[in-house]
Amino acid sequence: MTQDLAGRKASSGEAGSAGVAGDGAGAETAADAAPPADLASRRFGAAGWLRWIWRQLTSMRTALVLLFLLALASIPGSVLPQQGIDPAAVSQYYAAHPALAPFLAKLSGFDVFGAPWFAAIYLLLFTSLAGCVLPRAYRLARSSRQPPPRAPRHLGKLPLAAGFQTSGAPDEALAAAAGLLRRRRFRIRAGDDWVSAEKGYLHEVGNLLFHVALLGLLVSVALGGLFGYKANKLLVEGETVANTPVGLDAFHPGRLVSASDLQPFSITLRKFTARYIASGAQRGQPSWFGASIRYNSRYGGPQRGYDLRVNHPLSVDGVQVFLIGHGYAPVFKVTDARGVVQFDQAVPFIPLEQSGLTSAGVVKVPDARPRQLGFAGVFLPTEIVVGGRLVSAFPAPDYPRVSLVSYAGNLGLDSGQPQSVYSLDTSRMRQLAVSPRPLAPGQSIVLPDGLGKLTFTGYRQWASLAITYDPGQLPALVSALTALAGLVLSFLVRRRRIFVRAGPAAGAAHAGPARGDADVAADPRPTAVELGGLTRSDAAGGFETEFAELASAIMQEVRGGAAAAGQSGGEVAAAGAKGE
Amino acid sequence: MTRLPRSARRAAGMTLAIRGLLASAALLGLASCSGGAIGQNTPGGNQPNFVGGSYSSTYYPPGSRPAAPRVSGTTLTGARFSLAAQRGSLVVLNFWGSWCAPCRREAPDLAALASYFKAAPVTFIGDNVRDSPASALAFERTFGIGYPSINDPGEQVALAFHGAVPPAAIPTTLLIDRTGHIAGRVVGEASYRGLRAMIAKVLAGQS
Repeated sequence: MTQDLAGRKASSGEAGSAGVAGDGAGAETAADAAPPADLASRRFGAAGWLRWIWRQLTSMRTALVLLFLLALASIPGSVLPQQGIDPAAVSQYYAAHPALAPFLAKLSGFDVFGAPWFAAIYLLLFTSLAGCVLPRAYRLARSSRQPPPRAPRHLGKLPLAAGFQTSGAPDEALAAAAGLLRRRRFRIRAGDDWVSAEKGYLHEVGNLLFHVALLGLLVSVALGGLFGYKANKLLVEGETVANTPVGLDAFHPGRLVSASDLQPFSITLRKFTARYIASGAQRGQPSWFGASIRYNSRYGGPQRGYDLRVNHPLSVDGVQVFLIGHGYAPVFKVTDARGVVQFDQAVPFIPLEQSGLTSAGVVKVPDARPRQLGFAGVFLPTEIVVGGRLVSAFPAPDYPRVSLVSYAGNLGLDSGQPQSVYSLDTSRMRQLAVSPRPLAPGQSIVLPDGLGKLTFTGYRQWASLAITYDPGQLPALVSALTALAGLVLSFLVRRRRIFVRAGPAAGAAHAGPARGDADVAADPRPTAVELGGLTRSDAAGGFETEFAELASAIMQEVRGGAAAAGQSGGEVAAAGAKGE
Repeated sequence: MTRLPRSARRAAGMTLAIRGLLASAALLGLASCSGGAIGQNTPGGNQPNFVGGSYSSTYYPPGSRPAAPRVSGTTLTGARFSLAAQRGSLVVLNFWGSWCAPCRREAPDLAALASYFKAAPVTFIGDNVRDSPASALAFERTFGIGYPSINDPGEQVALAFHGAVPPAAIPTTLLIDRTGHIAGRVVGEASYRGLRAMIAKVLAGQS
């Protein structure tokens, strides 16, 4: 019989996918969706309402609304100064808006990200996502363990179908087909006159991994938010910082972090080195940064050395310390009219631009006598004059100069109001009649009226460090990678089903032997084998080929088995265990 | 039989929701960066540690007092100081810096308290953090501080208190009783009356 595989595509992909959906996830959803009204009226009302609320909360729409609310709620956090980020700005806001500020404070306007309403939105969103992901993960887990469904009665109606005839008995044909499919790692379920086979459960496993990892990601983020912290510290060469709230500049602790939770290490900046490209188009660009530090992991512990570089952080006690910036700290000495030293320290100046590292800063001398003194100005690593203006031509300190404007009066520090070290409140100070001519190291400004003298004694460099502790980082990474792997798996692997039915052929339907196939011709009652194929995803690319290949392999197997059975008997029955 | 599309829709929605979550997380990150222009690369203010209004005062009753660590250091004038050597007297340990506005505000009160308790077994000691000796000594001249301070620019003494009662801000004042246990903590600007009452309470409680 030359009647060969009659593979054809019966229906479009859409119809196909709708047809497969009768099991697993879909059925569950349907059961959930149908009877809420019934439940509310028949059983006690509270449970029904809770059920309804839960379903609303975990719905897509709610999650999106919450997401939008979260974005909306973070706007005041960027518009209003935040206590945890810039307390000085909050104080200034209080001073500028005395009526509005207390009202905003009541609404947590200065601590938006710690506000109860913000937490409420976040927690609801978290619950919503968890409530969506968890049941789905459960359904996926169940569906990945399910045996294949029964074979449909009419395989010809499936998207992919094929058929052939063989001389063996239907049982033998089914056994041979099952054997082949099992060898190809299909999951098999067999009935009286049918065999169902399914493959690609990894699709479900991937899906499951993705969903569980998603939840893991959420938990990791929460973990970091609760137990992690971030801090910044500007450290001048020679200075030491202890990892305590007292020592850090900007400290953003997680919700459940207290001062005693900080890992008790200390870092000393020994030397900061920066190299710059000296010529060409990229002149002034940094070519190398490095900070030579010493650190110990507890009070009085042994000191170790480390070279901190960009993207080469220090890891101590699970805390990462990154080098994130650098600049100059000119050293100033202020003496009173009698020569008593009132101030002698390095003052970090903040770079205004990167090509020449022109840096701005202020010097506050609150204990100068007879008046408090303040200075504001710039540090120029390589000073040149362009059109009467002072600029820095190169970031390296080739010709370092400082230019300062001098003030005397009340710095405002003694009122107890915290202020930034980088801003000078001159509202209660008067500018002194001193020329802001650039000072070279060693040069001084002598102030009028016996106010004293400021000397620019030299400069040091500073490095700024970002200290981050995020216990959720590793779990988040693992979760993200798992989610990605799961997603890829679920994209690459499709679930596909093959159904086989075998039964006596309707004799008249088939033409006689065309090629003189002796065995088949000899058989008085040829068996008709029907094959059907189905894939669960809409995009069936590739499955048609696989199905055709499988169908032809099954045909060969079945016919080969029948031929062998005709000669030596019993062998196929032994090889093809008949499932149940 | 139309259920798969529904659950597929749900899945697609989830993915969208996650993407949105990530986007809003990024937004949050941005929002929290934009607070201070120089706040991220460099300290936005040198007093982020002391936040106006975050004053707190804690008294530890006898029996629930954490042991103070054994700290020692060099004072601003070059003398040695050891906390353990102060056993037998109540120690008032004040963490301060000359740059710190609330420290300047509380300094006259501390100076007055130190002379008020001159005759009592009370030792006042400062711990000068994030400062230079020259500026710190000028501060002491300004406010007439009569007691010594440990020169501690790298906050090592504060670090030593890590396991016990860590100073959460500048200024912080700790009371350490005669047996070397922490009896009280004032975070933020200490007031003359409040601190005097607490010192008197600790003195009375242990005699």
